[in-house]
Amino acid sequence: MTRKVVLVQQKKMTFGKWLKTMSWRHLVAFITIAFALFPLFWMASASFDPLGIVSSQKLIPDHPGLDNFRTLFNDPDHPYLIWFRNSIVISGVNAILQMFIGATAAYALSRFRFKGRKTTLMTILIIQMFPQLLAATSIFLMLAELGKSIPFLALGNSIALIIVFAGGALGINAWMLKGFYDTIPSEIDESAKIDGASHSQIYFRIILPLARPVLAVIVLLSFIGTMNEFLLTSVILGGKQNSLTLAVGMQQYIDGQYKQHWGPFTAGALIASVPVVILFMFLQKYVVSGLTAGSTKG
Amino acid sequence: MRSFSHKTPALLVKIILLGALNAFTFWAVPILLSHKTWFFAAYFVISTILIDYVFLNSKRIAGKYIVPGVILLLLFQVYPALFTGYIAFTNYSTGHFLDKESAIEVMVSNSYELVNDDAIYSMQIAKDRLSGEIALIIRDKDGSFLAAKKSGTSKIPTSAITPGSDGKVSAVEGFKLLSDAELMSIIEQFNDFYVPAGGNQFFRVADFNAVEKVQPVLAYDKAKDQITNISTGVTYRPDKNGSMVSADGEEIEPGWTTTVGWRNFTKVATDQRYRGPMGLVLAWTFSYAALVVLSTFFFGLVLALVLNHPRLKLRRVYRSLLIVPYAMPSVLSLLVWAGMFNEEFGVINRMLHTSIPWLSDQWMAKVAVLIVQLWAGTPYMFLISTGAIQALPSEIVEAAAVDGASPQKVFWNIKLPLVLMTLTPLLIASYAYNFSNFGAIYLLTGGGPTIISSGGIAGHTDILISYTYKLAFMSGKGNDYGLASAVSFFNFLLVASISIYSFRKSRTMENMI
Repeated sequence: MTRKVVLVQQKKMTFGKWLKTMSWRHLVAFITIAFALFPLFWMASASFDPLGIVSSQKLIPDHPGLDNFRTLFNDPDHPYLIWFRNSIVISGVNAILQMFIGATAAYALSRFRFKGRKTTLMTILIIQMFPQLLAATSIFLMLAELGKSIPFLALGNSIALIIVFAGGALGINAWMLKGFYDTIPSEIDESAKIDGASHSQIYFRIILPLARPVLAVIVLLSFIGTMNEFLLTSVILGGKQNSLTLAVGMQQYIDGQYKQHWGPFTAGALIASVPVVILFMFLQKYVVSGLTAGSTKG
Repeated sequence: MRSFSHKTPALLVKIILLGALNAFTFWAVPILLSHKTWFFAAYFVISTILIDYVFLNSKRIAGKYIVPGVILLLLFQVYPALFTGYIAFTNYSTGHFLDKESAIEVMVSNSYELVNDDAIYSMQIAKDRLSGEIALIIRDKDGSFLAAKKSGTSKIPTSAITPGSDGKVSAVEGFKLLSDAELMSIIEQFNDFYVPAGGNQFFRVADFNAVEKVQPVLAYDKAKDQITNISTGVTYRPDKNGSMVSADGEEIEPGWTTTVGWRNFTKVATDQRYRGPMGLVLAWTFSYAALVVLSTFFFGLVLALVLNHPRLKLRRVYRSLLIVPYAMPSVLSLLVWAGMFNEEFGVINRMLHTSIPWLSDQWMAKVAVLIVQLWAGTPYMFLISTGAIQALPSEIVEAAAVDGASPQKVFWNIKLPLVLMTLTPLLIASYAYNFSNFGAIYLLTGGGPTIISSGGIAGHTDILISYTYKLAFMSGKGNDYGLASAVSFFNFLLVASISIYSFRKSRTMENMI
């Protein structure tokens, strides 16, 4: 029905009216999109420009080739592929851990009425105002101390980094997930309880599956967030080339060396960006609903 | 109908995880204690007991879900926050890392000097045949021999010595002399080889053929809490800054960690090297965050209004393309932008046929930072604005139109206020986020160009968090963790005030708990 109506209306629009109400909207869209995509284009073009020289680069290279990619993969001082692997592993493990810790705590905060519940919620909220990155100095000193006794919690170890991030998980995700759980009618759990389900069965078999779309968004956003984290990662992983993530490694690779490393750098940036952008496009709908969830609730 | 019966695998997982945790604690705590890491040892023990209790007690249901996360939160977010607060009141920095006791030990042991000018003895290294201990066979000044082990020295009777050709011994009863090759393999052991030689004197290995008799020049008197230089007679007393200082102001390295009250804070407010830069950094932090939020929100809202027309074709395609900057990994896009802004060969100057000093002029660097954030932040604002506009209750808008309000009036008096109301919490959150957006500054300009009066530490585009990072990890004269934590603490107070204000203002709290 509705579609038919829209079709009828669209037919009515004359060219003159289109020019007046629509053309400038397209123009605005074109200009903004050009601005939005330019860095991506420029990066892609540089990566295929075999000269790899920033000063002579054109938007469309004269003789496109893969030389930059070869240089990138074969630089023993800057192990791009190892950084890439580190990033994927650290971000992947961390995204799942963060989601799980947040999802679990949020279940208790949403479904159980226990002593100290309000205090916990308020505390989490206040703690969130002190992001871990402001405490980078003390996290550094703390790991220096712990690492003397426990090797996997030492500076330079990626497990230490993952555990530090896991410590921040509750603060980041618990509130958002609690809000979502609150929208799941509690009659569902109660009827399951009558059927003899234990609390863990309700959680794992009913609540978690229902929350799947939100959990997917949290995993995606934590994944991207960890890939992009620079400050804590560089403080904790330090200067060991083989344990760095892409974010820190690429920064060290290009810092002050735009002239020499521009071509291979853009090749690396392209490889790392494209999958993330595509993934984001696919999950766009969910991400957008996650972003606006906070605003429509208040 | 689902069946809810199979409990065994879950129980197994629970037992394995709890077992692993307990095993870890049993393994880690003794090591922590041996390093005198009391706090963490206690924390691990208490946490493990708590988790065991919660998971083995069927009544503590809520605890099972929340305790593990809270334990991690306390250790890695609350403790660092409190620790930051503590360090802000100490002089923790390069040269002040140790506690007082260890620092004095280091001072004394750094001060060993020869007892007198010819206190050098020829020596050969051997191994005790019975115990396998390393022993130094030392020829005393009177021609007699000593066997010096780490535990102490003993005389060797002349009868036990077989003299060799070049003034050396060729064999000693009860000892096995080591060859050069054997020595090379254990060379590290001699770095710190001191043998007590009576009084406060020691034999120290100088090389493979000689020892020196040394004694510390500095002596610590615990009762008076002072250090005396034995050869010059100068006394050093502790000052408020955790150093031993003589009356002439001469300091002994290293110092120790001590609380210094508000000194880090007053230093930022009064010290010439920090006051000026701090003022600039603070002003830029506030205005940078405000400008970013305002400009991105303005453009995001306008875009949302322009593109949210029901009859605009390609609307979805436009939206997908517009959010690419938001989807791109920000570290990489910032570094790409830094390349594009490069003054000599960056694309921006080349396209405009200019040579604008984008990153080396303080104002142009600020403009560059804002342009990049406009690029990076607008998509987010566009998305949330679109969401808010689409969520507008259509009845109100229609009612106003029926009442004869013009589209402009409907927009200014109804749509815009409603959109602003829904988005205010997100805008304030965005302000708080930008306030400490380290990467946006550090990866693009590195905080530069440098503020000259800051001694090279602060830059004109530095915000508080990047200034903190530089104070802590990058200043040439060593790392001042105390000062960095003070600035960090200050940053926290500002962000917290902004957030609390926002929650007050938007009153989202009451109906969410």
